[in-house]
Amino acid sequence: MSQGRLLVVDDDPQIRRVMRTTLVAQGYEVAEARNGQEALERLRDAKYDLILLDMNMPELDGLQTCRQVRAVSDMAIIMLTVRNTEKDKVEALEAGADDYVTKPFGVPELLARIRAALRRISWSPAAGPQVLTLDDVEINFGTRRVSVGVKEIRLTPKEFDLLRYLAMHPNTAISHAKLLQAVWGPDYGEEVEYLRVFVNQLRKKIEKNPAKPKYLLTEPWVGYSFNLPPLP
Amino acid sequence: MRSLRLTGALLAVAAVTGVFTQLLLVNATTAGFVYLITILLIASIGGLLESLVASLAATLCFNYFFFPPVRTFTIADPHNWVALTAFLLTSLIASHLSQRAKSKTREAFHQQQEMERLYSLGRAILLTDLEQPVGPQIAREIARIYGLSAVGIYDWNEDKIHAAGPENLSDLERKLHVAAAQGILFRESQTFSVVIPIRLGQRPIGCMALSGSAPSDSGLQALANLVAIGLERVRAQQASSRAEAARQSEAFKSTLLDALAHEFQTPLTSVRAAASALLSAGVTKPHQQRDLLSVIEQEAERLSDLVTEATNLARIEAGMLQLHRQPQGVRALVKMSLGEIATTLKDRVVNLHVAADLPDLHVDSELARLVLRHLLDNAVKYSPPASPISISAESLGQTVVICVRNEGPGIAEAEQSKVFEKFYRGAEARPQVAGTGMGLAIAQEIVRAHGGDLRVESNPGKGSEFLVCFPTAKKGVRA
Repeated sequence: MSQGRLLVVDDDPQIRRVMRTTLVAQGYEVAEARNGQEALERLRDAKYDLILLDMNMPELDGLQTCRQVRAVSDMAIIMLTVRNTEKDKVEALEAGADDYVTKPFGVPELLARIRAALRRISWSPAAGPQVLTLDDVEINFGTRRVSVGVKEIRLTPKEFDLLRYLAMHPNTAISHAKLLQAVWGPDYGEEVEYLRVFVNQLRKKIEKNPAKPKYLLTEPWVGYSFNLPPLP
Repeated sequence: MRSLRLTGALLAVAAVTGVFTQLLLVNATTAGFVYLITILLIASIGGLLESLVASLAATLCFNYFFFPPVRTFTIADPHNWVALTAFLLTSLIASHLSQRAKSKTREAFHQQQEMERLYSLGRAILLTDLEQPVGPQIAREIARIYGLSAVGIYDWNEDKIHAAGPENLSDLERKLHVAAAQGILFRESQTFSVVIPIRLGQRPIGCMALSGSAPSDSGLQALANLVAIGLERVRAQQASSRAEAARQSEAFKSTLLDALAHEFQTPLTSVRAAASALLSAGVTKPHQQRDLLSVIEQEAERLSDLVTEATNLARIEAGMLQLHRQPQGVRALVKMSLGEIATTLKDRVVNLHVAADLPDLHVDSELARLVLRHLLDNAVKYSPPASPISISAESLGQTVVICVRNEGPGIAEAEQSKVFEKFYRGAEARPQVAGTGMGLAIAQEIVRAHGGDLRVESNPGKGSEFLVCFPTAKKGVRA
């Protein structure tokens, strides 16, 4: 049984070759694209669970491709790049990537990141309310939909899992490490910049004033918390 | 000149007296007013001395011919003393006022002239050619605008004197250094020369010597300030250009390092990923293992090529490229290059059109073969396996042009100038073909070091021709 359908996008033919051989050996279905444009064409023709996207490609680079993919799809995106600065990581995450792998990488690390990106936390009904209503924001955990007023807001899988976890533990400061492990998996714990980017993205989507958030609060030196106002 | 004006003034008074005593008999009051007008006219045309003399003469004539008893200098009526004294004072004061007005007008005219000169000089300084030394240009403009016989500007920073004007500075040069060191002003009225320090704020930046009719003190100071601004403007511009060049150099180095890091990281990624996949026991099928091992081998070779090319490029850029030139036959050079790249060429058809009687080249054989190998390697990489590669050569003046032609997809016009840039890979080629992007850059540097030229001619869809032009050996010298 296929572990998932992956699209590998990299302008280097040898990297594509290694990833295809390795990922097929792990039970994934693998398709390839040589550049951003080709990747977008493939996405129009078929559905994929995850895209491995090289950041440094000619013409339509990885960041631009990521933004375009994220605009129309919730699929998991992992960026691959030689650059390792925090600025580059934040840029990739803000473009819509779920994770970031620095070249050269070992295959076990890549596989772990693929598993984390494909991971979807399944919430049992007993875990908490199915629908949460806050002023004009309605979060339906059952259908994984968020609406602000009459407008439906799309959240990526990771954004939704993060929001759900915070909402399930309201009015409690949750540490960065705990949040990362809960949403991304046990191999994570130090990628504080991931949380910073994702929380900011969530604030932009559900808070009336993202600069002064009402629900998604920062707990300095600790992590984040979800502020659930008491019922009137 | 002065005696003439005095005589003229006296004659004017005499004329007025003659007219009013012989021709038109008028009363004393009328005569007095006319005398005053005459004195005013003399003051405006002549000068203070002339009008003073005329005032005294007019007073005497006024008394002698118009105050009773007439034709005597006696004044009978005491009221006439008052009248006469008032007349004298009025004429003296009027003369003085007229003289003052004249000198104020002259002063205003000089100031206006100085302002116009300063404005002209300011404009000229703004329009100086910054590509040329600015000091001599400023000195020439000062000499021209102020009509000076000699101008010298000592620039402290450059420790140079810029001279201009039809005459030499003579001993003003010595005074320039002294004035610059001590910050003091020299004036010599005999030679009409002045030496003034040039300051920017409180900081002395040089000195200026002028010979001829120098401006007033305030005009001189304004001139020195203008020159200071002109010199400092150039310095600021040069400093800004140097800073910009340094910034661009750093930015270029940073871009180059990024490109280099990327070029090395890419094959390393394949090697590491393939090796870790094999070691993690996730890849068990023999054909998959062979595939990954093949990648490791190929990418290791690619890394090795990268290191070699990067070293070559670094050597070229550090100026360590040493040419050992000797006469080299063209046909032999091409054949040796083909032999060295035989494995890469494998089953490719290579058409050779190189005459045996071409003049010998004057080249470093090893480096020239490296150039040809890069061109042939590119031809193999960027053309279909079944398509032929053509090599031709022809003599052109003092050079031989060797052409390596392939029937690949061609290079877009916009990219043709870029293909010789370090690490540049064509947009079409990059996803398909492994390469370092340094080969053509290295080839071009080698050819240029020989005094030759390397260029490309290509039309998309119609293949590409790389034309390398090497100089020929001198006549009588054969390989």
